[in-house]
Amino acid sequence: MLKTLIGRELLDNLMTFRFAAVALITLLLVVVNTVVLTQDYEQRLESYNDSVKRNHQDLRNSKTYSTAYLSVDRAPNPLSIFNIGLDKRLGNYIGIYHGFMPTLWDAQMHGTDNPFIAFFSSIDIVFVFEVILSLMGLIFAYDAIAGERERGTLRLVLAQPIGRGQILLAKYISAMVCLLVPLILSLLFALLLLTRSIPLSTADFLRIAGIVLTSFAYLSLFYLIGLLISVATPRTGTALMLAMFVWGFLILVYPNLIRVTVNPGGDIQARVKTAHNQIQQIIDEYERERQKFLENEGIAGEMSEFSKALGFYHQADVNPVTLTTYIENMSVLSEIRPDFEKYVPVAKRYYNFVLPLATRTVEKAWRVRKQALDEIYVRQARMDRILLKLSPIGIYDDATQAWAGTDLLGLRDFFNAAQRYRKIIIDYLYAKDAFSSREWFVADKGGVDWSTLPQFTFERSDVRTNAKRALPDMFLLLICNLVLFMAIVLIFIKSEV
Amino acid sequence: MWHITKREIYDNLNSLRFALTTVLLLALMVTNAVKHLREHPKRVQRYQDAVTESSDRLTAHADGSLYKLAQYGPGNFYKKPSPLHFCANGGESILPDTITVREPPVFATDAENNVILQGVWSLSYPDANLQNKNVGPNVSQVDWAFIIGYILSLIALWFTFDAFSGEREQGTLRLMLANSIPRHTVLIGKFLGALFSISIPFALAVLVNLLLISTANTVHLTAEAWGRLGIIFCLALLYTSLFVALGLLVSARVQQSAVSLMILLLTWVTFVVFMPSTLASIASSFSPATSFDEFWKQRNPVKEDLWDKYDEWLWSSKLDDKTLRGKSEFYTENAERDERWHEERSKYRSSQVYRARAITGISPATLLQHLIEGFAGTGFERHLQFVENTQRYARQLREFVADTDRADPESLHILGVREGTSKKPISPESVPRFEDTLNLSRDFNTAAMELLLLTLFVLVLLSGAYLAFVRVEV
Repeated sequence: MLKTLIGRELLDNLMTFRFAAVALITLLLVVVNTVVLTQDYEQRLESYNDSVKRNHQDLRNSKTYSTAYLSVDRAPNPLSIFNIGLDKRLGNYIGIYHGFMPTLWDAQMHGTDNPFIAFFSSIDIVFVFEVILSLMGLIFAYDAIAGERERGTLRLVLAQPIGRGQILLAKYISAMVCLLVPLILSLLFALLLLTRSIPLSTADFLRIAGIVLTSFAYLSLFYLIGLLISVATPRTGTALMLAMFVWGFLILVYPNLIRVTVNPGGDIQARVKTAHNQIQQIIDEYERERQKFLENEGIAGEMSEFSKALGFYHQADVNPVTLTTYIENMSVLSEIRPDFEKYVPVAKRYYNFVLPLATRTVEKAWRVRKQALDEIYVRQARMDRILLKLSPIGIYDDATQAWAGTDLLGLRDFFNAAQRYRKIIIDYLYAKDAFSSREWFVADKGGVDWSTLPQFTFERSDVRTNAKRALPDMFLLLICNLVLFMAIVLIFIKSEV
Repeated sequence: MWHITKREIYDNLNSLRFALTTVLLLALMVTNAVKHLREHPKRVQRYQDAVTESSDRLTAHADGSLYKLAQYGPGNFYKKPSPLHFCANGGESILPDTITVREPPVFATDAENNVILQGVWSLSYPDANLQNKNVGPNVSQVDWAFIIGYILSLIALWFTFDAFSGEREQGTLRLMLANSIPRHTVLIGKFLGALFSISIPFALAVLVNLLLISTANTVHLTAEAWGRLGIIFCLALLYTSLFVALGLLVSARVQQSAVSLMILLLTWVTFVVFMPSTLASIASSFSPATSFDEFWKQRNPVKEDLWDKYDEWLWSSKLDDKTLRGKSEFYTENAERDERWHEERSKYRSSQVYRARAITGISPATLLQHLIEGFAGTGFERHLQFVENTQRYARQLREFVADTDRADPESLHILGVREGTSKKPISPESVPRFEDTLNLSRDFNTAAMELLLLTLFVLVLLSGAYLAFVRVEV
């Protein structure tokens, strides 16, 4: 019986105009956007490759350790085509040196993009799905029960020996099968276009499968919302109207309303100020120790002479707004005048003392800064995201971001890798005795050999991690689906035909 | 005709959709007003603090001597926040609101770190604000542009999808046409009826919004601002009538109202939601941006040339006319080149944005967004105007310095060099001050094209609806 019902519903749905229209529009939008997004990705990849090349060149050109500007680049994520997340919004290269902690908050953008173009909102495939799939689900559901009730066929069906739950199940299954067709079809086309120019790994395909699964749950949720409306309203006209209202509210109005709750209050400035003072104290302490060393060495009074001899440049600062902390100790000198040779041993001792100290200092400052920035930016963002989850669009967006690896955690993976790399570089410098070497500040005895420098590599987190991050949201979607379905069954059983 | 219009309005007034619309629009407009009232005073305060500081700097420079003013120039420039910020946010978080005045560059120092060559100030145009620390979800603001562009257009479709198909289903269309009413009258009656029924809740919501904003003593709206609000309200009506016409067109051609609504929704989604972003992406990929390095390369040889060109004067400490003049020319040319380079880069970028804007103009939602931004005094157009104002003022200030110097007979009239400039004290009050102003007629001029396009869309759709309805069989 169930099979007959499903078969009938399937035929009913497939032969309609709405099916054709929805399938066509979905296909069109996904294909067009995939082409555009692929192009955009390729441009970003090119700018990444340029930057990597330039950085290599810069490094090879630097003859001393102190003037070497080492930086790492973040490659664009190919899955950002599905959900762009934070991939394009946050910076994509960052400097690596002992006196600076590479973090998410200090990353720079490759200068090749026109930032004013960012003025126009960007788009991704998940956004297309967010809007279209929800609309599809509602359009297919609004007259499922109300329509049959109006035409009188519901009475007829119920006269058969068949449970009401079964009718709902049959409707649900057949509609979902129908709705899956445009979803899968458009995704296949998208993948076809993608793989032509972007190589995807097996892991990427698994991640995409995760995105498809989430999309499916999201679609089902909206179908059920439509079904609920259809069960609860007597006429199709009203059901349609309500469905459209709910759609407009959940997709358009609510996500934009949550910004109002954001309270960029004055306490943020207070928080920044306290953190700034704390970091300043850490830097002051560093400065005191440095001065003490200079006094012990007896060159505190000769500082100007010392600086001139070495082309010495020292700066330790914390930005009062961003709390960026850095300590620079370097020399910009190609050779040392013979009469200044006497300063070389002192300079070696100085650098050997001050560089490890600077390394420790910025690490200490980062712990303070991390806490402050987490409280200021991350907590607010997290609250926004939680609020957004009251609309299915928020849950869906978060889950797909987690699958694509373009969420905050995914981006943090990169910056954690950058911090690990900084550690490796410092260890490497220790191993080469670079801090106490002449090559730190002057290159007259031949430049530094960069060939043995460890290379930076970054692998996106594996699929299991992505799945673990996406799971809570997918679970939430599932629960919503179940609860809605049960509610529908309850209402339908109790309703009079 | 008025009869039909009246009937339509009465019909709509009692419907569920009218109630829902009123509640939704009121909620959105109140939210908008509350948010504006909470944030605008802070914005204004920030601006005023910045302007005071900048003005103090100018006074400090002018207090010293004419030379100091000529060398250090004014303080930084700040974009005045628009009182109509609640109408359109206009990408405020991305667009820069400051034009900084660069300190005079130090070209050379002697062994004791004394400056021996120091240039003059120049303007530096900041990039878009990319130091965005926002890691939150990507959502837009609830401003008028959003409410009108997205919500009101959707409501327009909501009110008209069953205008003809519904009546046809009920059979009342046949009845009405049996009377001696020409079809175009029916169409216009329906059109006006729907437009009025939407305008009523919208006008109500706007009134509540403006009431909240104008009665608060923290925000002041000038007569000009009210005029601009009036224009924006008319724009909203024009834009709504576009979607009303679209709804009537589809409704006249399609038999079932459910199908009609579906077609309308899919059209709406395509034109309003997807078209702007997709087209912008396409447009931006047409014009690959030049990197910072390439621009740098273009500029650097020029700098070398300058050093060569003025080499014989730069290193001499003589105070004769020729040396001073050489140094002065070196400084001014340096500053001018710096500025020109920045200006070219920003011009190149704006031309890219303009191209993207032109292409996205196919979508009426983008047209409306640009129009509202234009009249609310926010957005990209406003940014360009701010840049222009700054440039005009910079010229004015430089002329003032030259004129003041010329008035002093003892001066050698060689600007940018201490020995060549007038040593008479100047009163800081006489120095012209920067004022960031908006010009309504200029806004009209830039908006004219888009306004025409929007009107054209409305006319095309209306005549389309007319043709469709006249030829349809009932």
